[in-house]
Amino acid sequence: MPLLIDRKLVTDDSWQLVEEADSLPQSGDLLVPLALYLEQKEALDAHSDRLAVKVNGDDDLTPVLSDLERFPMIAIEFPIFRDGRGFSLARILRRAGYKGELRAVGQPARDQLGYMERCGINAFEFDDESYSDDFLKAFDEISVRYQGSADDPRPIYLQN
Amino acid sequence: MYIYNEVDQKIVDERVEQFRDQTRRFLAGELSDDEFLALRLMNGLYIQRHAPMLRVAIPYGLISSPQLRKLAHIARTYDKGYGHFTTRTNIQFNWPKLEEVPDILAELAQVQMHAIQTSGNCIRNTTTDQFAGVTPDELEDPRPWCEIIRQWSTLHPEFAYLPRKFKIAVTGSPRDRAASQVHDIGLHLVKNDAGEIGFEVLVGGGLGRTPVIGKQIRPFLEKKDLLSYLEAILRVYNLKGRRDNKYKARIKILVEAMGIDAFREEVEAEWANIRSSELELTEVEINRVKSFFQPFDYDAEAGNDTTLQQKLDSDEAFRVWYERNTHNHKVPGYTAVVVSLKPQLQPAGDITDLQLDVVADLAEQYSFGQARSTHEQNLVLADVKNADLYAVWQKLAEHNMARPNIGTLTDMIVCPGFDFCALANAKTLNIAEQINQAFDDLDYLYDLGEIRLNMSGCINACGHHHVGGIGILGVDKKGEDWYQITIGGSDREDASLGKVLGRAVAADEVADTLKKILEAYVEQRTEEERFVDTVRRVGVAPFKEKVYAAAH
Repeated sequence: MPLLIDRKLVTDDSWQLVEEADSLPQSGDLLVPLALYLEQKEALDAHSDRLAVKVNGDDDLTPVLSDLERFPMIAIEFPIFRDGRGFSLARILRRAGYKGELRAVGQPARDQLGYMERCGINAFEFDDESYSDDFLKAFDEISVRYQGSADDPRPIYLQN
Repeated sequence: MYIYNEVDQKIVDERVEQFRDQTRRFLAGELSDDEFLALRLMNGLYIQRHAPMLRVAIPYGLISSPQLRKLAHIARTYDKGYGHFTTRTNIQFNWPKLEEVPDILAELAQVQMHAIQTSGNCIRNTTTDQFAGVTPDELEDPRPWCEIIRQWSTLHPEFAYLPRKFKIAVTGSPRDRAASQVHDIGLHLVKNDAGEIGFEVLVGGGLGRTPVIGKQIRPFLEKKDLLSYLEAILRVYNLKGRRDNKYKARIKILVEAMGIDAFREEVEAEWANIRSSELELTEVEINRVKSFFQPFDYDAEAGNDTTLQQKLDSDEAFRVWYERNTHNHKVPGYTAVVVSLKPQLQPAGDITDLQLDVVADLAEQYSFGQARSTHEQNLVLADVKNADLYAVWQKLAEHNMARPNIGTLTDMIVCPGFDFCALANAKTLNIAEQINQAFDDLDYLYDLGEIRLNMSGCINACGHHHVGGIGILGVDKKGEDWYQITIGGSDREDASLGKVLGRAVAADEVADTLKKILEAYVEQRTEEERFVDTVRRVGVAPFKEKVYAAAH
């Protein structure tokens, strides 16, 4: 699947998404839904390679916020175009000091990429058929930032 | 008024090009209907019954003469020669071509205008008192705060895909002329015990299918904390508001479901995280924005005018207009004029290209080059010298904008209804015309006094029917238009929701029904009692009896 990280197209993605407890692999970088992580915490904490969690708007972020260093990557799910909860999740995670990769998964749409990036999301995973290189233009369509956000906390009048 | 700097200009210019590209991709089949829907709505573009409809933002209702002329030009060039003012103090054009919308936006950008966030599930145009800055009853001018909110909310990256639309109103006077209690957030400039001015914050008001009066979430908010508090409310709403049912997605439903106390706790907990951040407004910034709203260079001699009194004594029609269609100004010798967009034979809030040009000229010549739009779908020239009122009146009368009906029954708020709107269940324009014809006797209207009549063509309540002293809601019954009537609503400081009178009436019975309601009022009222106060005192029963008794 096409993946943009820090506005660059990345070809090799080591993360493997596993959503069922009975199919957890022994090794390899593993991405699991937050609910599965909490349910299988002991086994997953013993996982030999890296571990990431996938969160969505229904999740309570508290267990993630209290253990941010644990996850080199956090995936935020955008299940449908109109569901904007992921924007707030990203801001809350960045505000809490999360420095790792924040990846939009599900349905990140070209016309939302600029806002997602401003909220602190730096990676975007797309369906094969939906992605085009034109997506890279989306980040710079609007260069003015009236309000502070995760990218720059300063409102316009404090910038420069 | 606020004047764009290079940065403000850049944002609207870039937005035009962004939308031009979105439109191009949509027409080329590269953008799905569903995605383009959300994107075009965030730029004020609907697909209506006959054609697209473009809603142009008029931030807090303030507009300059060059902007009015640009709207006239757009009405002439891209539309059928008219526009329609809305209860959000915006203007909408009913006949643009989809492929021409980017060009219209480019024209608007030339005069510091745009259609950003005039629709969609985002923060909409902030509204205020049409007499802001000039009314004697004001504590502080609310417009700088509206501008601060405008900048913060414009293209806010986090709040563009909210559960539902979000509307904020700000008032600076104890007299509420902005319907602030039926907004998602209502902000009232108030003074605390220490004599400091800040905001009382209401949350969770709204109309639509579940009308609710806003609840106080905070009695006093320091000015510097305005944006951090708004951001905390919006974040809680964005995360917790319902997304499974669009009719239960407004913040009012969330506040009702959680209870105001639990909702407040969540907001205050979130606020604690961001209160002392860059969101805290600086004195410098507040003063910078305030500098755009300083009082005009008023003529100190204006108060010595004696010609107004002479004209009032000698011209009865002028006197009647003056008594009805003007508002006191805090500067001696000046008056605020309401331009009535409620003539007898035109839809409420409609304005032609020529009328737009006339108002632009009048504003330029007599009112420091500015006008305002009101949530009652009229315009205001806020700073007219008393000595000029006669000339202004004559010009307005010549162009059918001086019907002396402001605040009366025929100063109706009316949505476009089934004739234009794809959501509507019933027509409204024919009913408004019926009412206009039935209530053309000015003496009778004046005797009835202040009555707010609001009409919506469907349950979405764009015509604010719940908060009309008399509210009319069009409903569809087996393919026929019927009208449900409520009485006793108010959108003022005494905000309340109207109560249903009884079963709906047929289209041809609406005006007659109103006559009976008003007969009951005249019978029941005490001296000087407004319609809405009589309803509150005696209840719905006497009105119901009058209307339905005769039918049996």
